[in-house]
Amino acid sequence: MKSKIIKAIALLTLALSPFFYGNAIAADKSLADAKVVLQISDANPFKQTLVLNVAGNLVKAYGQDLVDIEIVAFGPGLRLLFADNANKGRISALAGSGVKFSACENTTRNMGKKLGHPPALNSKAVKVSAGVVRIVDLVKQGYILVKP
Amino acid sequence: MRKLKKVALAATCAAVLGTTSVVNAANWLMLQGTEPADAAPRAKVWGFIQAKYEKNNSDPNAGGAYVPPKLVGPALTSQETFAINRARIGVRGTGMPLDGKVNYFFLAEFGNNGITQPGNNFVKVTDASITMNHIPGARIRVGLFKTPMSEEVYQGIAIFDYVNFTNFANQQLIERAPNDTYTSNVGAQTLPVGTSLNTFTKSVSAARDTGVQIFDTFKSGAWEHGYSVMIGNGNGLNMNDNDDNQDTYLYWSSEKVFSGKGPRRKGMKFYAWSQTGKRLLDNTNDATHNPKEYDRKRSGIGMKYLSKKYRFTFEYTKADGMIWLGPHTPTFDMNPNAPVGNGENGEASAWQVDFGWYIPGTKWELDARYDVYNRLENDTVFPGGANAGKGFETEWTTLTLGVQYHLNKKSRVTVNYAFRDVEAVDFGSGAGPNANLDGIDDIFAVQVTHIF
Repeated sequence: MKSKIIKAIALLTLALSPFFYGNAIAADKSLADAKVVLQISDANPFKQTLVLNVAGNLVKAYGQDLVDIEIVAFGPGLRLLFADNANKGRISALAGSGVKFSACENTTRNMGKKLGHPPALNSKAVKVSAGVVRIVDLVKQGYILVKP
Repeated sequence: MRKLKKVALAATCAAVLGTTSVVNAANWLMLQGTEPADAAPRAKVWGFIQAKYEKNNSDPNAGGAYVPPKLVGPALTSQETFAINRARIGVRGTGMPLDGKVNYFFLAEFGNNGITQPGNNFVKVTDASITMNHIPGARIRVGLFKTPMSEEVYQGIAIFDYVNFTNFANQQLIERAPNDTYTSNVGAQTLPVGTSLNTFTKSVSAARDTGVQIFDTFKSGAWEHGYSVMIGNGNGLNMNDNDDNQDTYLYWSSEKVFSGKGPRRKGMKFYAWSQTGKRLLDNTNDATHNPKEYDRKRSGIGMKYLSKKYRFTFEYTKADGMIWLGPHTPTFDMNPNAPVGNGENGEASAWQVDFGWYIPGTKWELDARYDVYNRLENDTVFPGGANAGKGFETEWTTLTLGVQYHLNKKSRVTVNYAFRDVEAVDFGSGAGPNANLDGIDDIFAVQVTHIF
């Protein structure tokens, strides 16, 4: 009787394992055709428009489910992710299409020293410890780095 | 590899298509006074050049002499000239890009016009302002800048669709500052001009003043509403006050936005504005500096519809006091010794309609503008004599036909032909002021504009 119960549990576990395994894959790997990390670190505000245009074009070209895009902002480029930035409408729209936004915490801290207070960031932005490290990590994961 | 190509293509497309930089809210209050939040450069150098050729076809009076409307300004020495109408270069942005709440605007004029001509200035600062955007709904701009008013004058002049202003805008909105001391009128001159017909010693105001402005814009669905309240010296480009009075400037606009952004945004705008202040004028020929204060009021309403392929504008404007009568009449009186022709306390009104057609699929644009200006309305009348009951009211009517060819978004050629008619309504041909006004005729002008 005991061995039957053990056998049943083992079979059940085996039968359910693809679901757990599948979910684990889904968490780690997307099904995207392309993975792109866009870097913005330039002071030129034109680059803000450009990087958002590139992200929009990628979404349009691949479809939002088939491309993973992350915009990493650091240095002077972090201004793109300031809460009041003139592009906040576009950022919100792109975030709705699955584009991720990462804000460098080192830059945020340094800018805070100059401003006397930390800059308020866009609610769509996720803080990362260092922008450049985030880019390296993403490249290791197979992302293509583009710096418009 | 295919992926990489696709990514590269997307990046290239963005680079080509993305050349329109971030534009702030598209109305003149915002376009001239603010920068895109957290997306402005430290210093953006910009400007424009307008080179023109103008031919005035007017005939002289019976004595062979000319009055200013028959000559090409600002020199008023010829009926035909090549000129650099405007040549302006400026810098704008935000001095500390991390703090997008403060921005600045600086612009200087190098061209040959009423801004630089009096005193033969090589260059004249026309704008130097700082805007603080800390208070929601109440941005504060201080310094020297354009005062909100008639769309014709308040718009960025580089995109103005004609070579010359309407008569009212030229005479009553581009204000001439009175000379500090009494200066005699100058009569009609034969060519070549012996005595300068341009007797003013200071720059025109160029619709600018030094002061403080509170303004902002609010969105409500498809509509955008803007307001401005400003107090200034009332002394134009002179950057200081010459009396203890300030001018008050009020402005409101409501625009239904169709699409686009920037100076040529598509929409339908309605607006109203007013300016009130006082001016000092010494118009007593007694060798004593004894200027008096006179009221100066300007106001107007208007609308502009722009939805390419069509443009339509309408404006109605009024002036009360300090009615400018020409560069040869610094006293603001047609004849200081007569009871009539009094510009200091005179009144004027004007209206204009403008129609533009952007020919689809081409770079051509056709323009037509009709403006009517009544100067010295209800002027004092001669009490007796041969001219009893008559005043010096004059009616200025101009139909301007234009063609524009847009070489690109920043460059265009403008060709205008203006059919002009001016008459003192109380006098017959050749009588009274009409002795000089008869013969005012058409103007042909070609202008090339390049914005950089």
